[in-house]
Amino acid sequence: MFSAEIIGAWLVVFLTLCICSFLYNDNPFYKAAEHLYVGVSAGYTLVIAFWTQVQPQLLGRLWPQISENTDSSFFHKVWYFIYETFNFLTTGFGMLDRSIFPENGIKGHNEIQLLYIIPFILGIFMLLRLFPKVGWLARWAIAYIVGMTAGLRFYAYLNSDILIQIQASSIDFNSGWIGIVNGLILFIGTLTGLIYFFFSKEHKGSIGMLSKIGIYFLMIKFGASFGFAVMGRISLLIGRIDRMKEYSTSEFYYATPILSICVIICLIIWAYLIKGNAQDRTFS
Amino acid sequence: MGAIKNILIKLGSLDRRAIFLIIGLSVLIPLLKPDWVSLPIKPDRNTQKVFDEINKLTANSKVLLSFEYGPSTMPEIHPMAIALIKHMIAKKVSIYGFALWPDGNFMSTDAFLEVGKDLDIIYDQDYINLGYKPGGEAVIKGIVSDIATMYTIDLSGKSIHDLQMMQDIVNITDFDFVISLSAGDPGSKQWVQYATDPKNIPFTTGCTSIQVTDVIPYVENNQILGILAGMPGAAQYEKLVENELRSMGIYSAPGKASGMMSAQSIAHIVIVLFIILGNISYFINRREKKVN
Repeated sequence: MFSAEIIGAWLVVFLTLCICSFLYNDNPFYKAAEHLYVGVSAGYTLVIAFWTQVQPQLLGRLWPQISENTDSSFFHKVWYFIYETFNFLTTGFGMLDRSIFPENGIKGHNEIQLLYIIPFILGIFMLLRLFPKVGWLARWAIAYIVGMTAGLRFYAYLNSDILIQIQASSIDFNSGWIGIVNGLILFIGTLTGLIYFFFSKEHKGSIGMLSKIGIYFLMIKFGASFGFAVMGRISLLIGRIDRMKEYSTSEFYYATPILSICVIICLIIWAYLIKGNAQDRTFS
Repeated sequence: MGAIKNILIKLGSLDRRAIFLIIGLSVLIPLLKPDWVSLPIKPDRNTQKVFDEINKLTANSKVLLSFEYGPSTMPEIHPMAIALIKHMIAKKVSIYGFALWPDGNFMSTDAFLEVGKDLDIIYDQDYINLGYKPGGEAVIKGIVSDIATMYTIDLSGKSIHDLQMMQDIVNITDFDFVISLSAGDPGSKQWVQYATDPKNIPFTTGCTSIQVTDVIPYVENNQILGILAGMPGAAQYEKLVENELRSMGIYSAPGKASGMMSAQSIAHIVIVLFIILGNISYFINRREKKVN
């Protein structure tokens, strides 16, 4: 009778109404839904990141699955003893079933890649932020991330967003008069927009005039961004209302109308109680 | 005249909750009664370009389709995903699903399932779904250099070495086209910066309305070949695909975005009216204050 789909639909409708109730005022329904959303999102992302990256790509490279025919050297024995120790700890001292560390190593890779010990250690350093005495070690990991990201982004940004864009803002005189006018507007817009952000000289005289033209181009850009932002938000509202409409049928036991009435009644009671409390405080 | 002026002044101080209610109704009514408002959908230059580029692909072309959105932006991007997949499946193009957002896994799974209701699609023959990997730009870099370093298994846990469609694929240069369905970062921008610009691979995107002004410089410069901009882009693409499939003798259920466009248009008209009335009210108020 109550399938997972129907329970899910009721939950969807209830949480949507909780979030929408913010339009009336900040209230406990909204707060509960907001906290639930943040918690579930963080938890889901963490679990997915662990099971799709950390476990198969990092631990799987450090402790790949070994077949029975593999020569077990002293190093192998010690290395997989560490693996078993981790397993012992993560299974609650052997009380739970194996999950993170399966028997004989993790599937997916053929040989031990010791280089991955570096990200493994840096990852542990990152977690040490939780312990104030050794928290400084996290800076090493952060330094690596910042340096690597800056280096990685520098070339890509320079190429795609600066060099190619500068090339594109030049006027093509072979493109017909519409193309030339278009190119000219683009060129003036880019130049005056950049002048507006040039603060080494006071914006007076010709510089002031050009920066003023730049402001108009920026305003047009902001106007377009605002228009698109409104369009995006309305699209999301349409999506929600469409979903609510879908769940208002007898197939879903009239989830939308029933829950809407319940949430509205609860909001009225809450608003009445809040008003009463505020009056009590004023009198006392 | 004085009465109209008073109404306009009062409109300026209208309770915001009344405005919310009117906007809500302007969306709800066209959704409940679609016959009351029916507006034509005409593809714009950028949507047409996306369609033409996909249409140019030959059978067995390989397309990387990346899902960078979640349930919050589903109404705008999911209809694009379904229409794009339908178009490519009808043209016998091989689709390789990736995701840079964790929610992308749900979106890709649902989009392929949805298309499967209308068209015959077989896993590892028409499409595969490699799923999500955390890392954003680093994942794109991995796909650019060697996919096997990032992806050892597909979304269902099957080794990529056992997948027929992965046999000839080493890195991004083995794909004929890249599409990103993006609602933010990492998304279209990162694909341009780290993959399609350096490797010179044709690329297009479907993105949320909010992203359009950030992405459009790449489109104007042909770094991105056309753009599906928000819900209108999705509706226009749905219409083009619907016509194309009909000409191929394939029946397909109408897309969701087309049915929502009337609500979108009415809501926009209402918002524009409120902006105009709000401004008139503001100027009248200002003049009254100056006079007094």
